[in-house]
Amino acid sequence: MDLNYAALLPEILLAVAGILLMLAIPVLPSRQQVRLGYAASLALAAALVTALLQWGDHGPAFFGMVSMDALGGAARILFLVSSAAVALISVSYLKRERLRHGEYFPLLLMATVGMSLMAVSADLIMTFLGLEILSISSYVLAGYRRGDPRSNESALKYFLLGAFSTAFMLYGIALLYGAAGSTKYAGIAEAATQGQAETATFLLGLGLLLVGFGFKAALAPLHVWTPDVYQGAPVPITAHLAVGSKAAVLITLLRLLHQVFPASADQWQTLLWIASAATMIIGNVAALTQTDVKRLLAYSSIAHAGYILLGVIANSPRGAQGVLFYLAAYSLMTLGAFAVVQVFARREERFTKLEDFRGIGYRHPLLSVSLTIFLLSLIGIPPTAGFYGKLFLFSAAVEADLVALVILAVLASAVGLYYYLQLIVLMFMKEAASPPEPVPVPLAARIVILLMAAGTLYLGVYPAQVLSIAGEAAGL
Amino acid sequence: METYLFYALALILVTFSILTVTARNPVRSAVYLVSALLAVAGFFFLLEAEFVGAVQVLVYVGGIMVLFLFVIMLVSIEALDRQPKVSRQWRTGVVLAVVLCLELSLLIFRGTVSLEEGLAEPGIITTTETMNTEAVGTVLYSTYLLPFEIASVLLLVAIVGAVVLAKKEI
Amino acid sequence: MIEYFWLALVPPLAGFLFNGLAGKRLPARIVSGAGCAAIGASFLFLLAVFAEFIRLPASEQQIVHRLFTWIQAGTFTAECSFLLDPLSMIMLLVITGVGFLIHVYSTAYMKGESGLYRYFAYLNLFIFMMSLLVMAGNYLLLFVGWEGVGLCSYLLIGYYIERRSAGDAAKKAFVVNRVGDACFLLGVFLIFKTFGTLEFGSLFETVSRTHPQPEGGFTVLAAITLLLFLGATGKSAQIPLQVWLPDAMEGPTPVSALIHAATMVTAGVYLVVRSAALYSRAPDVLLLVAVVGVLTALLAALTALVQRDIKKVLAYSTISQLGYMFMALGVGAFSTGIFHLFTHAFFKALLFLGAGSVLLRLHHELDLFRMGGLKNSLRVTCWTMWVGTAALAGIVPLSGFFSKDEILWRALDSPLGHPVFWVAGLVVAGLTAFYMCRLMFLAFYGSPAHGHGESGSEAGTAVTAPLTLLAGAAAVAGLIGLPAYLGDHRLDRFLEPVFRYSYDHGVSASHASHSLELLAAGAALAISLLGGALAYRLYARDRSLPRRLADRFPAIHGTLQRQFRIDEAYSLFVVGGLKALSRRVLWRVVDVGVVDGAVNGTASLFRRWSGVAARMQSGNTRTYAAWIVTGAALVFLYLLSVIG
Repeated sequence: MDLNYAALLPEILLAVAGILLMLAIPVLPSRQQVRLGYAASLALAAALVTALLQWGDHGPAFFGMVSMDALGGAARILFLVSSAAVALISVSYLKRERLRHGEYFPLLLMATVGMSLMAVSADLIMTFLGLEILSISSYVLAGYRRGDPRSNESALKYFLLGAFSTAFMLYGIALLYGAAGSTKYAGIAEAATQGQAETATFLLGLGLLLVGFGFKAALAPLHVWTPDVYQGAPVPITAHLAVGSKAAVLITLLRLLHQVFPASADQWQTLLWIASAATMIIGNVAALTQTDVKRLLAYSSIAHAGYILLGVIANSPRGAQGVLFYLAAYSLMTLGAFAVVQVFARREERFTKLEDFRGIGYRHPLLSVSLTIFLLSLIGIPPTAGFYGKLFLFSAAVEADLVALVILAVLASAVGLYYYLQLIVLMFMKEAASPPEPVPVPLAARIVILLMAAGTLYLGVYPAQVLSIAGEAAGL
Repeated sequence: METYLFYALALILVTFSILTVTARNPVRSAVYLVSALLAVAGFFFLLEAEFVGAVQVLVYVGGIMVLFLFVIMLVSIEALDRQPKVSRQWRTGVVLAVVLCLELSLLIFRGTVSLEEGLAEPGIITTTETMNTEAVGTVLYSTYLLPFEIASVLLLVAIVGAVVLAKKEI
Repeated sequence: MIEYFWLALVPPLAGFLFNGLAGKRLPARIVSGAGCAAIGASFLFLLAVFAEFIRLPASEQQIVHRLFTWIQAGTFTAECSFLLDPLSMIMLLVITGVGFLIHVYSTAYMKGESGLYRYFAYLNLFIFMMSLLVMAGNYLLLFVGWEGVGLCSYLLIGYYIERRSAGDAAKKAFVVNRVGDACFLLGVFLIFKTFGTLEFGSLFETVSRTHPQPEGGFTVLAAITLLLFLGATGKSAQIPLQVWLPDAMEGPTPVSALIHAATMVTAGVYLVVRSAALYSRAPDVLLLVAVVGVLTALLAALTALVQRDIKKVLAYSTISQLGYMFMALGVGAFSTGIFHLFTHAFFKALLFLGAGSVLLRLHHELDLFRMGGLKNSLRVTCWTMWVGTAALAGIVPLSGFFSKDEILWRALDSPLGHPVFWVAGLVVAGLTAFYMCRLMFLAFYGSPAHGHGESGSEAGTAVTAPLTLLAGAAAVAGLIGLPAYLGDHRLDRFLEPVFRYSYDHGVSASHASHSLELLAAGAALAISLLGGALAYRLYARDRSLPRRLADRFPAIHGTLQRQFRIDEAYSLFVVGGLKALSRRVLWRVVDVGVVDGAVNGTASLFRRWSGVAARMQSGNTRTYAAWIVTGAALVFLYLLSVIG
């Protein structure tokens, strides 16, 4: 077995960059600390370049702890793009809120290391470590606005409940090790085919693992923490939680279920069927009466995880392809929406109520038009990314005979339409309540918003390219 | 003999764990926790994993718990003492815990293939000839090199996080 | 040239981009000029294509152009392919032709409105999307156009942003449409799953091979057609999704004429006709289509009787006429449905534009009972609207007579028809004549009401020219489909290639003698004249009688006026139900916590602003933990049931 350091080049790069940034804090005068954000973005960009260069690499590394394949490669690229966007919208956010840049960006980089490791991991221990790195950085980042009780509450709730769910997951891993005699994906999959899949130990391990992942992916009824945590966290971190973190968990879940536990497909399909149905219904219906945009988007992200499960349950390469494409689309539109919310919220996040968006339509065309694009995409209107995301996901599910669930999903998304539309109507078709207050749009945020909007439209007009990458990653 | 020892240790562990969460006085809680962790170390010795057992005693009992106690001493105990330890929801909690335990035991005992039969051959450390410590060292620096290194990233993140959240003015 | 027919999409798109990107800084003349020129160019181009198309032998009138392979993923392929056949040809001509006239009319109607560039950009985008819809060579591309026109409709209904009701109406239209669209999409999935392709050509060919005979009962085809039909009810405002169209009248009047009368709302009819190969093999669904059509026609016509708002009368009339079209489709007379769609586009656009001219004159006074005596100041509007009214009422020899009569005759004569449909259709014909004549008498005759003097005149050539042209078209359009006793049904022959894969129920073959058909036509004409005469008696001479009738039967009047209270029922049961579920159950129970129940309701609000330490003990976090344990317990419960 070879060590093959090169396989983890992006992760190593990010970790080293994170440590260097921390070392730079005492050296850099406080006025110059803004640069840390750009340095972090550069590190993410460099990691992205290496990850892109590594596209197409295959094979194990580090004694089989990690394994390079197309799925991991694609997931890594997705996470890096997401984190880079989060880093860019964080720069102006931290400046505006007068928060320290110092520890923020190293933590964000480390969280990305965690996600990235989850993507390429080939061993439950590695997966667990990656998830914990991601989680712990996220707990801290969620409470980064220390002056605000909501932010503190968010961090504390997330931490306590996250630790609680970790216990479930760890117990599951232990039982799976007991049943299979290995924590390696390949070892567990092999043991499963040799009859272990029928044993109580194995199934219990799988069940506990699902509980742990279900919590992190906010699947009903384990989603209860999401609205509070998302609402309290700083907006860029909410975006990170809703996009990067969620995508990492879902892709890992996808890989585990499709590659490691195909022998128990009957069991996890039933469980996820119920979870998916509950998640879609609760997410969409509960969002109807929300009055805060962050909370609204939190419920919306819950609902979208429910849709994504459809592709997981389909248990087919087409389903996996649908999941990956949808995640790409979902990341673009959700990051974009949060970027707009971040800019619009202004100092101390005072403007995150739905009412605050009343009548801004023609006053801030950049913000409102791009937010409209993102919302239309979240609804699933062509020609936006969300439409094709749903199309591929649902058609893969129909092929896998999940007709009832697809009908439910379509109905649920029809309900979801209402609250997204409410926001569009508020922006464009209602008169503003109060005289306008200027909304400064920093350059970095502007770039992110425009790029995400362009990406959303690109995927909506010409999905073929990303779809073929997703197909390759899904093993089609 | 081993079986009896196992159940004895398990009883100790469960008892002290319950005491840890129900005790009113935090110092007592901490002491109960130490006892529970010692019982866990006992399991490791029972499994002939002397090295891990010793590390458990040294790190948890010796290091972490002492730190815990220091912190508890520094925080005013009276304030904590007045807080109700058990909330209004304890009924729900107990019901859920009982249901969960019941389900788990049913799963373990009533399954068509019980827990014992479901166990696989132990995988990694099978040699008893070489020294236990040596074996741990070998896998840690070969197969598990990456997790070993990555764990340090995890610790780093945890330290930074603790500093960020706890310190008044950084 | 004919193989480049898809280039007709380019001018509207260019117009949209031009006005959307640069229009804000340009003077109104250039904005409106560019908007009109784009559609005019498209129309002229399509006329040239048509001249070539008509010379092709019937077997070659099916031109497919694959622009590029749009999506390729495993077994899933979607082409960006366009189809030109007689059906799309005729639709395209109507869309761009009527569309052009309405664009010209808009230049006068919208003069001085702010945001004119938005208006023309949306209108051009609408023409683009609608053309895409009818030109699409597969269901996926059709769906893109379908959603696109919905979006434009939404944007244009909400055009007057200062009006609160406009925003609400736009939202309602969008939501209701999306319910239909969701069903449409499910139907498309089912088609792909069953037949493995979405391209019209290969799909219909496959269907005609695998399902040579129609089959009753709930087959796959029945499920597919049912789902597609539900999609159609959304777009074409049929029961149960008809509620949005009357509210859509909040938009500018030319928009109502183009989108909510002449073109977009007929997309549902187009969809069913396009899928004739599927529908003709699902007789039970066809029956449902006919029943829905008849019921909608009746309901809407009854509601139109008592409306006070001039545009609402026309809106309900549109719903009613669409019901006619679906009735025709339901009895298997697909080409008849298209015939009525064709003639209806002219006279309904004409009527809406006429109403717009009245509104311009009266400064947007919508209430019919506050109008009157306009016939002298609005001469052109008055006589053109009489042409439209007569056409809609089915007075011989105007276009509506031929198309409506053919529908009624098919309803009686077709093997899938039934005398009940015919009788209901006759009633609707009488009602139609009544409410249209009522509108005319109230608006143009009697004494001028409420401060609008005798002075004032037509708004100019940009208004009168489209009216005159449309009146001409509304008068003679029926000649392309003469009944058998008069001559040649050209439209039937022209459309024949479209239905080559459909199952032939023998609808077009006449089953009865010419004399019976003539008798039926006479009956319809008589009923229409009767309706008109009644309106004359009630509204032209003595106007007190209707009021007394309304006072005498307030319940009936109220029910009719509020469209049988369907709106109220919907908002009570569907919207109210969902919101209550969200607020009472999910938000309160799941979000705040079921364990603490009502006690926490007020307390948690207080705690929201108190310190973190208090919060920790508040129980919220513990409640959440309890939910997680519950989730785990459920998972184990399932595993127990598996292991048993």
